[in-house]
Amino acid sequence: MSAERPSSRWQIMQDGKTFYKRQQLYSIPGKLPNLSDYIVAGCCYGGPIALMRDTTKLIALGRTTPAITKAQIQIYSPAGEGLLLFSWDQGKIIRFGWTADERLAILNEEGIYRLYDLQGDYQQYSLGNEAGEMGVIDARIHENGLVALTGSLSLLEVKGWEGSRPLTLANPNMSQPPNSWAVIPPDLNISRHVEVLLSVDSTIFTVDNLESIDQRLSQGPFTHVSPSPNGKSLALLTFAGTLLVVSSDFQRTLAEFKTGEVVGAEGSVHQVEWCGIDAILVTWDNLVVVVGPFGDTLEYYYSGPTFAVTEPDGVRIVGPDVCDLIQKVPSCSTSIFRPGSTSASAILYDAWESFAQRSPKADENIRSIRPELAAAVDECIEAAGQEWEPYWQRRLLNAAKFGRGFLDLHNPTDFINMGQTLKVLNAVRFYEIGIPLTHLQYIYASPSHLITRLTARNMHLLALRISTYLSLKPDAVLKHWASAKIMRSRPSATGTGADADLGGDEDVCKLIVDKFEQLGGADVSYAEIAKRAWDVGRGGLATKLLDHEPRASDQVPLLLSMKEDRLALVKAVDSGDTDLVYHVLLHLHKRLPLGSFFRLIEDGGSQLAPASKLLQVYAREQNREMLRDFFYSDDRRVESAVLSLDEAAATSDPASKITAVRAAQKFFSEDKDRGFESRMMDESARLLASQQQLEKETDGKIVFFGLSVNETIRTCLVNGMSKRADKVKSDFKVPDKRFWYVKLQALTSTSDFEGLDTFSKSKRSPIGYEPFVRHLVEAGHPKEALSYVVRCDSPKRADLYVECGEWRMAGKECKERGDKAKLQLIREKCPNSLIAREFDLILASMK
Amino acid sequence: MATSTVPLDETPPIPDEPLLDVNLLKEIGQKALVDALNSVNGAKTLVLDASLAGPLGLVIEVSLLKHHGVDKMFWLEPGPLTSTTPNIVYLCRPMIKYVKIVADQIKRHSRDSQKHTYTLLLVPRISTLVSRILEEEGVLGDVRISSYNLQFIPIADDVVSLENDNAFKELWVDGDETVIYNSAQALLTLQKLYGLFPRIVGKGDHAARLATLLTKHLPSDSSTPDTLLAQSEKIDSLIILDRRVDMITPLLTQLTYEGLTDELIGIKNSHVELPVSLLTPPPPMGAAASSAAPPAASASLKKVEPKKKHHLTTSTDPLFGELRDLNFSSVGKRLNKVAHRLEEDYKAREIALQETKTVAQLRDFVGKLGGLQTEHQSLRLHTGLSELLVPLTHTDQFNKTLEIQQNLLASYEIPSQISAIEDLIAQGADMQTVVRLLCLASITCGGIKVKALENLKREVLQAYGYNFLPLLLSLASPSLGILLPNPLPTSTPPALAAAKYPFVGLRKSLRLLIDDNPEALDEVENDISFCVAQKGGVLSNPAEKEKAAAASADGKAQPSSIKAQAHPIAGWRGFEDILATIPGETVDIVQSGGNTLATPMASLLRPMQKPTTTVIFFLGGCTYTEIAALRWVGRQNRGRKFLIATTGIVNGNSIVESIAGVAKSAGPKDAAI
Repeated sequence: MSAERPSSRWQIMQDGKTFYKRQQLYSIPGKLPNLSDYIVAGCCYGGPIALMRDTTKLIALGRTTPAITKAQIQIYSPAGEGLLLFSWDQGKIIRFGWTADERLAILNEEGIYRLYDLQGDYQQYSLGNEAGEMGVIDARIHENGLVALTGSLSLLEVKGWEGSRPLTLANPNMSQPPNSWAVIPPDLNISRHVEVLLSVDSTIFTVDNLESIDQRLSQGPFTHVSPSPNGKSLALLTFAGTLLVVSSDFQRTLAEFKTGEVVGAEGSVHQVEWCGIDAILVTWDNLVVVVGPFGDTLEYYYSGPTFAVTEPDGVRIVGPDVCDLIQKVPSCSTSIFRPGSTSASAILYDAWESFAQRSPKADENIRSIRPELAAAVDECIEAAGQEWEPYWQRRLLNAAKFGRGFLDLHNPTDFINMGQTLKVLNAVRFYEIGIPLTHLQYIYASPSHLITRLTARNMHLLALRISTYLSLKPDAVLKHWASAKIMRSRPSATGTGADADLGGDEDVCKLIVDKFEQLGGADVSYAEIAKRAWDVGRGGLATKLLDHEPRASDQVPLLLSMKEDRLALVKAVDSGDTDLVYHVLLHLHKRLPLGSFFRLIEDGGSQLAPASKLLQVYAREQNREMLRDFFYSDDRRVESAVLSLDEAAATSDPASKITAVRAAQKFFSEDKDRGFESRMMDESARLLASQQQLEKETDGKIVFFGLSVNETIRTCLVNGMSKRADKVKSDFKVPDKRFWYVKLQALTSTSDFEGLDTFSKSKRSPIGYEPFVRHLVEAGHPKEALSYVVRCDSPKRADLYVECGEWRMAGKECKERGDKAKLQLIREKCPNSLIAREFDLILASMK
Repeated sequence: MATSTVPLDETPPIPDEPLLDVNLLKEIGQKALVDALNSVNGAKTLVLDASLAGPLGLVIEVSLLKHHGVDKMFWLEPGPLTSTTPNIVYLCRPMIKYVKIVADQIKRHSRDSQKHTYTLLLVPRISTLVSRILEEEGVLGDVRISSYNLQFIPIADDVVSLENDNAFKELWVDGDETVIYNSAQALLTLQKLYGLFPRIVGKGDHAARLATLLTKHLPSDSSTPDTLLAQSEKIDSLIILDRRVDMITPLLTQLTYEGLTDELIGIKNSHVELPVSLLTPPPPMGAAASSAAPPAASASLKKVEPKKKHHLTTSTDPLFGELRDLNFSSVGKRLNKVAHRLEEDYKAREIALQETKTVAQLRDFVGKLGGLQTEHQSLRLHTGLSELLVPLTHTDQFNKTLEIQQNLLASYEIPSQISAIEDLIAQGADMQTVVRLLCLASITCGGIKVKALENLKREVLQAYGYNFLPLLLSLASPSLGILLPNPLPTSTPPALAAAKYPFVGLRKSLRLLIDDNPEALDEVENDISFCVAQKGGVLSNPAEKEKAAAASADGKAQPSSIKAQAHPIAGWRGFEDILATIPGETVDIVQSGGNTLATPMASLLRPMQKPTTTVIFFLGGCTYTEIAALRWVGRQNRGRKFLIATTGIVNGNSIVESIAGVAKSAGPKDAAI
């Protein structure tokens, strides 16, 4: 191991404060083709690069070039290992780029895009008809979506990678394609929506889904537009070669730099990328220049064309021979290793070195930094994370450990975590794995992200070891492993006959289940793996795997696609998730003939009763015809009748209403237990018919249709058709009591007191006369009420008089009956002293 | 005759120990909506389903919506929608009729070649049904479907509700179990916040279903929060009560202040409609009134009405907290007392004013002024409200109804009660009242004689219209079975026969009805309604039942002077026999965290002194009286508080109306937003 201090490889900016370092990640001589002939897309977080031959470039024939007539995409790891090679048989590729989960998104001119994983499996989506017709002329792909520029110069945005419908962004009204353009991804914007930057003429348009704004710049047109990793600043390169840095709201110009003045720069600028958030990297054929915030530069030379990939904490350069990482030296490293540094951490490191050399200086050093020792320890731990060489990592951690010994209390969590993390990082940085993650990137991207990247490369064992080491759940790894296992084991069974095939299913299933149980992957969804098996045409295996799935809701969709209808329905009902039940029902309704659909539900008995009920709820609103058939086919007379009544209530046409009621009556009559209902519906139909008759008699001036029996009688009475009312009464056998109440109320409402009087005398009232009094009083006719009081039972009369407001009469009544107690009661309630005095007189007279 | 749940001499129901902070739920609801709105960029038109407006009003304020880009708000109603904003956001429950309106409006727009971006937010979750219907209508591609997970809404310090008005009907008439699933999700959220319910007890078939769903661990995201792995510290158990188990309580007329207001005037989503004159005081608006002022957005939708919504809440109106659970007959007394106190305060103020010398004193004085005014205003409000109620309680029908109810509960002269009901029909009483009484008669007497029942049904149909036949059929259907003939016809399915409610036996064994005992008579003026209100409590709380059993004779009507230490809830122990007679499954599950090795006994051994909360979930809704009763029970013992969770607030009328499909005036004017 090199004993050379890390700082020996640092370069200093002209300002004398900032250091940059170029860390060689891998040496890859001859592994990659000449990048200048290719279109390249790099995946950040130490991901792979994808290459496609640039057809605009000339190529020397005769060399051992691969098939050049077909579009081919090659994917290489940062260590130069070929990961995947596939050819493209669709329309011309417009653009390709990497998604956050390390899939390659490829968009062609017809608006079709595919997402390839590292195993070469893909999903295909489309940008829709519009894009298909207009054609796509360019696109920008970011981690969580893409923005496409169509032939009509409008912008389409796709959010996420689930094939969602593209949204049209505001139209920038360009007359020709932009000189260059870029997008700021949604998660870097204040608005949380994607923003597109278009260089048009001398200015820049910013476009989001609401509006397109001209930023009124004059320096353009620009050849390169590049937003910083945090989305706050923009780097713009003019045709004249001036590099401008502006804030992304275009309010401030942060820096200006003339690239033409760079010594050794030849030809055109290839790339403008960010290195961290305050420096910009400009690349030429053999030269890479880092431009600092104050126009300071650092030059790096390469032997051939390079490709730069912006990382959150630096920039990765893939050159012909090497893969490098250029980054600003973090402050923790500078404070320890900067020549002449006197910071506490530097002294701590020095002390440890002295200690290792058994020099007494160690003690002296430690003493001198006693107050800042804790911070120094933390800094050493942090700095260890920044080092690439295990040698230096170990030294720094040792220094930290040494310092810790002098502290009474120090939380060791950071120390332990750093140790573990470095172990993981060193493992994946190994060239055969080829994921050159820095510590910061690892923290950003999360350990589970690293695991998925490993599984995507089919490195299950390493992924599993790392998850165990970091005590993560092994589920993700196991799931991926099982899927891969199913894919791989597919060909083995062919050609050896049906028995062997079955055996194969059995074996694979057992293998998977055993492995899961052994490794404790309890939460792995068997359904997903089963789906995988089903997708590759192994139905038997899928069924077997599905049996192990504990969650009903996960089983159902697969069961449906496997045409296990009944089972799917039962599972859905069991899960209690009504939406899932609907999902199955609607699916089956679409697929099965109506008859067998009904039979399936009816045969389910009580187990499927909830499903049947839900079907009814749905059909009542959306598909009555089906519901009618459903009830009919199951001989559900009562439900059929109720449905019919429902329709009767909904319709306003008299004839169809009567028909519907008749139909209901017929249904009821077919059920021997529903005699009562049948009779009632018969009555109802008769009532409707007689109401029609009544309306005809009154020349349709009075509305009868649809009223209840009581209301019909009332309407008759109110309109002076008392004969008719009597007829309704007798036709529908209305009891006297009710009839009397209705008539009382009706006559009172029309203030027909004469009629009321005759009515009351027509025969002895079945309801007594008290209701007469009360109702008249309530309706505000106490005078008229008075005449009925005498006809009431004598004990109640006094109170009734009071209700009519006739206090004197009440007093008289009491006197006549000699009811002194009552009199006293009433006296207490009486409204004024005048009456009270009268009462007193009466009281006095009653001895 | 009336009911009382709070002895007058007791201090106002201010919880002495802190409850679970239910406002957390409100914040969750609020944040979810804001996030959902923010996912759509730019100004948007919000189209709202009217049944959601009330619940939403309890969660979020209109100003906040405006702040998050809502430009205009409309009701989701059939007919064209004119919008000036590029975005239209629909917010509704996943009901077919709403989706059809949405589809229609989108189609109209495309016909008029208007371009909008549509977002459909479904409450509480995305539904396959909706996307299917949108697909059938051919507009699926134009809409982005997302969800707004609105779950429990706090409607009081100790009450959270899903505010689903139709829960009862959906469960027991339609057989649609969506409510159970949603309830399970909502309870799961509670568990996520507070930890696993250490014990789940429940009664009723649907309650059992809910308990299974809850314990079966609904499909959760890969990340299970830690709270789901350990038993809750704050909650000792969850009690799930199926509304079907106790149908009697909602059928009775509620007589507490809040309950009676609900019965007679109607409380919807904690809002009551009152005449404007009651709400706008002559002096500057008090805090209570201003909070109830309808937001500007609905002004455009609202016709000018003499009525106005008022939010009944204890946070701005402490007087309401004192009054809500009182028997209505004691409300007058209490108001009187408050009025006197207020007058004295005013007097004291005048004296104070004369004595005020320094600026500091003056500041104190002015500070108190606002409080007095608020109190004055709320006193005015409640006096006015009581005045509105009094005449309604003095009608013949009201008192006759109460009388029939009491006689039925006491099984006193059943035939004459039946004919009294018949008289009510003849007199033209409300359909709801009559149906409630009929059902009550059927439940308490184990069915009504076939002849009498047919006659009554015929009377109902003739008096109110033949269109109520489906209602009567629903009430008699096996799933509900609350209006049955006696004896049952031979062809009845066995399920129905088994569902018969053994009321008489229960009344005896649980002492549901208590004879007036002299000392309680003052405060607990009436036994019956009180007891039935208590019945909810009795059924719901096994621990309480144990206590009732121990304190033999006096039962629970007698407010014991010593607060008993709450017993740990130990399942249904001691009541198995009685419970077995009530139809419906009985559940008793002990949940221990996945990572603890706690035995079931651990839950019993928790320190007695530690105050704990019991969550009571009413599946199918609960009444205000039940809430009042549970608060009363909660005050009777130390160390246990109740958190009442429900699918919604119901009363007998609302249940009958929902089954009958009588559309309540759910028009725009009903919405709080």
